Amino acid sequence: MKNPRNWRYLVVAICLAALGVAILAQIFHIQTSPEAKTILNGNDLYNYAYRTYYPPRGEILDRNGNLLAGNRTVYEVGVDLGAMQDPKNIALAAQMYLGLDYNDTLNKIQNPKPGVVYLVLKDDVAATTADDLIKLQKAVQSDPTGNTLDGLAFNPHLQRSYPDGTLAANILGFVTQDERGYFGVEEKYNNILAGVPVTLLVPTDPNRAEELPDIPSGATLILTIDSDLQASTEQILDQAVQDTGSASGTVVIMDPRNGEILAMATTPRLDPNDYSKYAQVFPGETPFNRAVSQAFEPGSVLKILTMAGALDSHTVEPSTTFMDTGSIVVGGATITNWNNGAWGQQDMTGCLANSLNVCLAWVATQMGNDNFYTYMKRFGLGHPTGIDLAGEVGGRLKLPGDGDWYPVDLGTNAFGQGVAITPIQLVMAASAIANGGRMFYPHVLQAIVEDGKQHNMSPQLVGNPISAATAHTLNEMLAVAIETEGSQGIVPGYRIAGKTGTAEIPDPTGGYDSNYTNASFIGWGPVDDPQFLVYVWLEKPTSDIWGSVVAAPVFRNIVEKLVVLRGIPPDNVRLQLNGQ
Amino acid sequence: MNNVTQIVQKYRQASWRVQRQWIGLFLLGLVLVAMVAGIYLNITTQANLAGRQVQNIKDDIITNQRTNADLETQLAALTSTEAMQKRAQDLGFQPVAPGDITYVVVPGYEPKQPIDLTSNVTSPANAIILPEYTESLFDWFTRELVSSAPSGGQP
Repeated sequence: MKNPRNWRYLVVAICLAALGVAILAQIFHIQTSPEAKTILNGNDLYNYAYRTYYPPRGEILDRNGNLLAGNRTVYEVGVDLGAMQDPKNIALAAQMYLGLDYNDTLNKIQNPKPGVVYLVLKDDVAATTADDLIKLQKAVQSDPTGNTLDGLAFNPHLQRSYPDGTLAANILGFVTQDERGYFGVEEKYNNILAGVPVTLLVPTDPNRAEELPDIPSGATLILTIDSDLQASTEQILDQAVQDTGSASGTVVIMDPRNGEILAMATTPRLDPNDYSKYAQVFPGETPFNRAVSQAFEPGSVLKILTMAGALDSHTVEPSTTFMDTGSIVVGGATITNWNNGAWGQQDMTGCLANSLNVCLAWVATQMGNDNFYTYMKRFGLGHPTGIDLAGEVGGRLKLPGDGDWYPVDLGTNAFGQGVAITPIQLVMAASAIANGGRMFYPHVLQAIVEDGKQHNMSPQLVGNPISAATAHTLNEMLAVAIETEGSQGIVPGYRIAGKTGTAEIPDPTGGYDSNYTNASFIGWGPVDDPQFLVYVWLEKPTSDIWGSVVAAPVFRNIVEKLVVLRGIPPDNVRLQLNGQ
Repeated sequence: MNNVTQIVQKYRQASWRVQRQWIGLFLLGLVLVAMVAGIYLNITTQANLAGRQVQNIKDDIITNQRTNADLETQLAALTSTEAMQKRAQDLGFQPVAPGDITYVVVPGYEPKQPIDLTSNVTSPANAIILPEYTESLFDWFTRELVSSAPSGGQP
């Protein structure tokens, strides 16, 4: 039996079926239409975004674990143009809190370039400022009049920070906004400190949350620097530069037993937290770190290397005598003493004690060109030491055969004129005399800490330019020399070996400027067991031109601090304690 | 035999029974599809939630790292040489001169050793993650198959 209403059901069923088919057909049409591809591609673009993740930059510590360079949180403040409601409010807040120009900001956010959805207003905003701005944004969020700061976005990130300000700034260098290190340790070890940035295609769709890989931080560096000693050295140097009216000052302190740099102070110094003042602090060609980047004629301090070569080659003995008549002719040029005087008969210790140019020029002529320059090269003069600080220069040691070398250079080089070296070169060379003839690479890196493991650096031997016996003999001569001289570099309670230097400064015409000098002092101690080597250089002092007057007291002041901070007892106490 | 034929005949005559069968089968299929869809939805939701939680934890780690870095730098600033010197002077201390120091032998005294920052904490990359959290169903099946296979005959 047929239901007469069946046809109605049939019509409804057909209509619903037709509707279903139509929907399916439309779905199929949308999926396969040319526009669909564009939409899908658009979705892909918005679903994923390339993001670069920078690992936190490694820290820099001193030898006692004190933080010299770390990181702090700063904010990038920007505007999400899509979420922005009141551009005038944002421009006003940017003016008040970020110091930006109101009209510039308003114009920037109201008339963005096509396609731009986010604008950076200011980066490296201090956390306190950003916090104030965030609080203000929250406070006005529910403003019924619509005067909100919606759209203002804050992206925190780490920025290099130097908690001690200018302390050891010339050793550390600085890091710019693009996370690149400049000068010093920051540049030399930039790759190790920075780690490896990772760029990933990250889904922005919350339903496609993916785990980010672990991005290891940059390695932490432990330096050989003692920050207390560094601070004391900088204070003494700054005071000395001021008192003597010097153009600049440099002090390098090394442990001659292994080449570790304990302190390295130079002027001027830049607060690396504010590296934008670089051009202001270092005008023209002013080097960032004079200790490694400025070569100059060192003067009489180089006599210790001449004497070392002469003793080691058995050209002279400590007892060898020289009759100083006040002048000597070398290569057709006349060389005189610092006071133009004749000092009569002198032994080699007397030549050093009285810093006689004529005597040392004679010693060099006795050695001969080959012998003299072989020793200078053995001491590392003429090429960089290889210290692990960026920007080291090699100086200039003219050699026979070079176009600009003249026979007189043998005589003048013997007392440190006509040869350009950096403070670190002299320190490395002198360390051989202090350390029984063994010369180590100067270095500031003590250890690298990476992935929870500490890799300690071993001292690297450069060579043995002189024998242990020669080093011992010269040590005694230099100790006697400053004792005889009554040097202001003598430190009560400690036997010191040392030498002053006063060098004339070459002028652009090829002559020497007699108004200014490079005054210096190099010394080490205790003589029987050298644990420190200190080099002081004052450039163009105006209170007095002589190294013995202006540089030697600085050496003494530094050593008096050093022995306390490094726990080095006076000689009599040390020998007594060693005997127990 | 006649009884059987009668039952089949009566059953055929009741067409609603055949319809009910089809409806039953359809509903069964629908329930199965709904179950699979429900399970899929549940698992997907859980996976997404877990992913989001991991992201949040990662964000927390980054925030904590930033906070640590901030605190370390603040601490370093508070204990900087300049700050400590000023505090010492404010407390009435004076810089010591070499002549002020008395050196004595202390039996058993260990001089200050170089700092060692070696960490004993196992890095997350080295942590042991159970296979249940990383392998697919197919991986699990393969592992089970391999582990249950005989390892060779006994001599």
